[in-house]
Amino acid sequence: MMATNPWDLMRELSSMHERMNRLWGGVHDRSHEDVTNRGGWQPPVDICEAEGQVVLKADLPGLNRQDIELSVEQNTLTIKGHRRPDDQVREEQYHRIERAYGPFSRSFTLPNTIDSGGVRADYRNGVLTVTLPVRQDARPRQIQVEAND
Amino acid sequence: MAIVRWEPARELAGMEIDRLNRMFSEFYGDPFSRGWVPAVDVYETDEHEVVLKAELPEMRREDIHLTFENGVLTLKGERKFEEETKRENFQRMERRYGSFSRSFTLPNTVDASRISAAYKDGVLTIRLPQREEAKPKQIAVNVE
Repeated sequence: MMATNPWDLMRELSSMHERMNRLWGGVHDRSHEDVTNRGGWQPPVDICEAEGQVVLKADLPGLNRQDIELSVEQNTLTIKGHRRPDDQVREEQYHRIERAYGPFSRSFTLPNTIDSGGVRADYRNGVLTVTLPVRQDARPRQIQVEAND
Repeated sequence: MAIVRWEPARELAGMEIDRLNRMFSEFYGDPFSRGWVPAVDVYETDEHEVVLKAELPEMRREDIHLTFENGVLTLKGERKFEEETKRENFQRMERRYGSFSRSFTLPNTVDASRISAAYKDGVLTIRLPQREEAKPKQIAVNVE
């Protein structure tokens, strides 16, 4: 895979860096057997921009709504949360623990053209969907090319 | 012969990405090109019921398939990508799409007729009760 322009290249490199961080983080987490103190984990996130809005989706299965915290400050969106272990189950009852528990926090820089007042968030089927409308004046316009002939 | 400007930085970075991509494709490759492995917790309750919890966020019930045969529980499924969203519109894509399959060998004392599964908040909870005769019995020690 060869990137076609320098901008794509930088994006590739930074996403590679991100993936590696996630990879090492994951390996590190797995080595801890303590359910309640697994250190930070990172929920996977998709960000898609289309039709005048930016949509962010984070996989957060099995969280309580009150344990998800979302904030927009300046042009930074922060998702924080905590996955609590089931307090009905004692640690010695587990045969296998692959899910990550404990707190997490991720921040994303938004294009400053977001209408921060119109941000909506919805948690369904274990996925947090954040919809961020792009400000009306920042949306792309079609510009007519005039020809004199 | 055309003269092409040599851009060592781009070449190097390109090679590096290529190498790293191959190296890590096992773990974090293209979201579409390979399967994924949902995280699973397994525990046993005091009533000797085996409980399995699998993280399957944003899936449709009809895309989750569960079978139990000869003491092996198989969980299969496919997380479909929403076709109406174009891939080129994505700025970041870390979530996994595509099919997965995982199997678990369980004690043969599981009562297959009473297995139940429920999907809530992106987590599938499978309850596998054990047959009555398989539960440990308290044996009284007589003192003479």
